[in-house]
Amino acid sequence: MISCQDFISELGNLLEDDVASEIRAQLEAHLAHCNTCQVLYDSTRKTLRIVTESGSFEYPERVVTKVMDRIRNNK
Amino acid sequence: MIGVYTSLRFSFERETCVGFLPEIDGWSTESLSVLKRNFGLVPKIYRAQLLRPDLVDAEIELLDRLLFGKGALTRVQKEFILLAVSAENNNSYFPALHCQTLQFLGVKPEQSQQVAIDHREASLSNAEISLLDFARKLASNSQSFTDLDVESLRKSDFTDEQILEAVLMVGLTQLLNCVQMGLGTEPDFKPRVTFPLKEVNPAVDSERQIAEPEFAGDVVSDDPDFEIVARVKNGETDAFEELVRRHGRRVYRSLVSILGNAEEAEDALQDAFLKAFQALPNFEARSRFSTWLVRIAINTGLQRLRSRKDFDSLDEESEEFRPRNIQAWTDSPEDCYSREEIRKLVEKEVMKLPLKYRVALMLRDLEELSTEEAAAALGLSVPGLKARVLRGRLMLRESMVPYFSKAGVSKP
Repeated sequence: MISCQDFISELGNLLEDDVASEIRAQLEAHLAHCNTCQVLYDSTRKTLRIVTESGSFEYPERVVTKVMDRIRNNK
Repeated sequence: MIGVYTSLRFSFERETCVGFLPEIDGWSTESLSVLKRNFGLVPKIYRAQLLRPDLVDAEIELLDRLLFGKGALTRVQKEFILLAVSAENNNSYFPALHCQTLQFLGVKPEQSQQVAIDHREASLSNAEISLLDFARKLASNSQSFTDLDVESLRKSDFTDEQILEAVLMVGLTQLLNCVQMGLGTEPDFKPRVTFPLKEVNPAVDSERQIAEPEFAGDVVSDDPDFEIVARVKNGETDAFEELVRRHGRRVYRSLVSILGNAEEAEDALQDAFLKAFQALPNFEARSRFSTWLVRIAINTGLQRLRSRKDFDSLDEESEEFRPRNIQAWTDSPEDCYSREEIRKLVEKEVMKLPLKYRVALMLRDLEELSTEEAAAALGLSVPGLKARVLRGRLMLRESMVPYFSKAGVSKP
């Protein structure tokens, strides 16, 4: 049986669906009886979704003109 | 751990990476202990070569036998040769590292500095001055080097075995200096030695031509930017605008993540694109253009960061992080707030993450670079990048619990 620390070690790969089937089976077996890791997995997955879909740090398009002006002036 | 679980690919506990350098993976423990025993740390110059741990092991073995091991010359004499020859090459990396090592050996920093600047004024014996004259001449003026130079050392009572070691030490120093120049490794310590009337090699916050991350010798053939890059290289400056449009957001996010400030990121973005444009003739398409560009952006951001007085060193080891706040989240956290509120919340909380996790997380989760691309852009191994991204996600999750837990939702 794997420990919570082992579970966290593989959490990144699990979130990215990048685990071999036998490891996945062990992770799922752990999740089935460990409420703490269930919450951790669920909330980290949701965090990832929120960040990815947030559209945060949008860049100001005006910089395209500024960049090209600087490049042309530096030629 | 039991059974198949031994195939765990990385350990969460093992995030030992310093700065943006590769992890200490695949390295023999013997090499590590040689470095730690003699330098008290693992110098960046060796970490920087970890794409080929087998070769680094060989270099360290040479170092161990020739420099650290007992020989005909004393250890301090050999260290002085390394200092003097590095100085002769205008190299600031090795004097910074070896002045520290000489201090461990009981040599005062002032004397080591003087050996680098001018060994004739460093209170050395006449024999040691001859030894360093010999070493500097061999390094800098080998065409005029003759048997007479060897004879002059014999006259100073050096044995042939000692002379052989001196020659080998000059050769070793040339190799090390050349490797550092080629890789652009930054000093482990702030350089103590200055070279009057000479220009030194890249110091901590100096500009350096950005190197492409090199992984394979082949040209990347599926780069969607390939055609436009070729047009720009052929003199069509206006075509570069399309590259700015395609990658502006990616560059901007990389820079915001490093600088933590939108206005400065906007300025740095212009610098990064200008540098990329100027360096484009040297771009050989051994990585995707976008990976190369993000790497330039990251280096541009880091250079700005280092010039700040309150610069938080990238070399700081992070303390262990364990998730603490374990409360169940609502089923649809996105429905708790407006889109605008969530956007601002993410920006606020991401900015609170420590730099190295923030950059990794933003490249991976906001910019959605692949793990391999993000690792290449940051000069990390894939496991090293994954460890940072996971840590960033867990820390971010922790900070968002108050907003999304079932127990109670607070306004961002």
